[in-house]
Amino acid sequence: MLIDIVSYAAFVLLLGTSLVLLLSQNWRWSIIALALQFLGVFGLVLLSWPVGLAVVKLVTGWMAGALIGASQPAEELEDATFRNIQGTVFRLAVSLVGLILVIAAAQGLAGWIPAGRPILLGGLVLIINGLLQLGMTTRPLRVILGLFTVLSGFEILYAVVEQSVLVAGLLSVITLGLAILCAYLMAAPEMEEAEQ
Amino acid sequence: MSAPVLWIGLPLAAAVGLFFARKREHLVIVLAGILCFLLAAIALLVPIASLVQIGPLSFEIPDTLTILGRRLVLENGSRTLLALIYITAGFWLLGSGVARTNRLFVPFSLLMVALLVAVAAVEPFLYAALLVEMAVLVSIPMLAPPGRPFGQGVLRYLIFQTLALPFILLAGWSLASIEANPSNQTLYLQAEVFLGLGLAFWLAVFPFYTWIPLLLEQSHPYIAGFIVTMLSTVILHFMLNYLDTFAWLRASQLFYTGLELVGAIMVGTAGIWAAFQRNLSRLMGYAVILETGFALVAVSLGIGAQLNIFAQMFLPRIVGLATWALALSILQRQPGFRGFSNIEGLLRRAPLAGAISLVAYFSLGGLPLLAGFPVRLVLMETLASQSPLAAFWLLAGNLGYLIGGLRALALMAQGDEPYQISETRTQVVMLIVGALLLVIIGLLPGLFLPGLNELLATFPRLR
Repeated sequence: MLIDIVSYAAFVLLLGTSLVLLLSQNWRWSIIALALQFLGVFGLVLLSWPVGLAVVKLVTGWMAGALIGASQPAEELEDATFRNIQGTVFRLAVSLVGLILVIAAAQGLAGWIPAGRPILLGGLVLIINGLLQLGMTTRPLRVILGLFTVLSGFEILYAVVEQSVLVAGLLSVITLGLAILCAYLMAAPEMEEAEQ
Repeated sequence: MSAPVLWIGLPLAAAVGLFFARKREHLVIVLAGILCFLLAAIALLVPIASLVQIGPLSFEIPDTLTILGRRLVLENGSRTLLALIYITAGFWLLGSGVARTNRLFVPFSLLMVALLVAVAAVEPFLYAALLVEMAVLVSIPMLAPPGRPFGQGVLRYLIFQTLALPFILLAGWSLASIEANPSNQTLYLQAEVFLGLGLAFWLAVFPFYTWIPLLLEQSHPYIAGFIVTMLSTVILHFMLNYLDTFAWLRASQLFYTGLELVGAIMVGTAGIWAAFQRNLSRLMGYAVILETGFALVAVSLGIGAQLNIFAQMFLPRIVGLATWALALSILQRQPGFRGFSNIEGLLRRAPLAGAISLVAYFSLGGLPLLAGFPVRLVLMETLASQSPLAAFWLLAGNLGYLIGGLRALALMAQGDEPYQISETRTQVVMLIVGALLLVIIGLLPGLFLPGLNELLATFPRLR
């Protein structure tokens, strides 16, 4: 019973944070949402993995968030398109359609990946909202946040079927690599020409 | 020293060292080039996992390195692949001075090459997905160097390559599940879907190929050409791992039909877009798509002797793309250059680079007497006997691509300026070497291409 409550709470957290990442134009809110999103991922991965291994996702995610946050990405988050209220409503509406799709698809996916409903819902919600983010932006920071969201969704599902420590470690390396790349891409155009 | 340490560890360490010495550009280029050619020479001359005796000295290069319970294995059969990868990297790195890339190119490209060799070596090959992703991550700084804005192509490249990762990992899990439970038919479909999508993202298969022309248009053509060539070479070769390991996949008609269909669509659409395209760097993108399409069709012909066609396509593709990328890099440094969309009169201002870019273009288009022709001819003949409709599509696509080249030629030759060689002596030498290779391979295919059949040596069940 308690596990059910915790897992559905994690799903709601993931739904909320991925929506904030999709809609927010404020980088601080986005970084906070990213940190909370990794907390939700930890909650759902915990259903499949031991605490010691699951906590790797949380720590890596927070380190990635800290790396991006330290880059002061104030202007990097603001989208040229979808900035007005119509844009926000559009994103929200598309995300709602995505949620309906997730609820419909979760039943079918259960035949492919042997996971509980909250895990399937949580994973799929992140994948859909991450893909929406990737499809609606041209900003490097948003692209990386979208990739984090998609990969986090996948990692929730993949944790059910794969418990290899090495795979978990390498996935963490990729998460950190993406964060470093994000910081680099935000800074690179402004860096000195010395590297040319 | 084991083979993985030699061909993966050493370039990795060298890449780190060269990164810190990157300000001494010429030295870094020469050192990296020498290292690549040395590794290629060792791959060609020294057998792996057998005793080598040179005078009183005897030694053996073990083929396996174990890391955290997983293995990196470079067998004796991998030597041709290693030689191909390192010769390609060597030439590409030596040309980077002439192509005027950036300081990050040499160390990061060496790092990328080492990671891609690890892709071919890692066991279980589930881990290859993670290594490819790391190779993609280290390739980004080359495309987006400091002090220069980068285009959408870079981000799309990152997105599409990263999206392959989940599918390949899930495919690995599905394939392992099939071994444990071979009677479950759902698992076969599941594995084919995951694997198909993963490979489609990796190889920029239709409809996921939009980033290739964009990347080549917005990035340095020499760097983008290197990345696209290396990735496609290693991943196309790696794809055969799946075919070699799983008997059910070799027997799956759906797999071969899917490859043929997708390959034909890629060649057809790339040819059509190329016919209406006048931007030289985007045309190079369509050439990459066209080549991948042909490679997929070559695999769809089935295992056995036909697969040699697939193996023999590697050399003309690599030499063609390398020469073209070099020619484009030289063209874009010419005074008065106004972008690859404004190519009118380009042939008059830089006749050698312009002409050789067209030689490379037509070689990739399979024009007779050039490197691409002999293999293309055999492929079309074999395909026409098995699937005439697919052969027609391929022919139509190829024709469209050649029309694109003729249009480019007409535009580049426009104007009334006198032809004037403005390329430097080094540029002339490197361009002529590339063009000569394309002509010699085209004239003497029997000398160069059969050796590439050894690329399949690591796949005993496919021969």
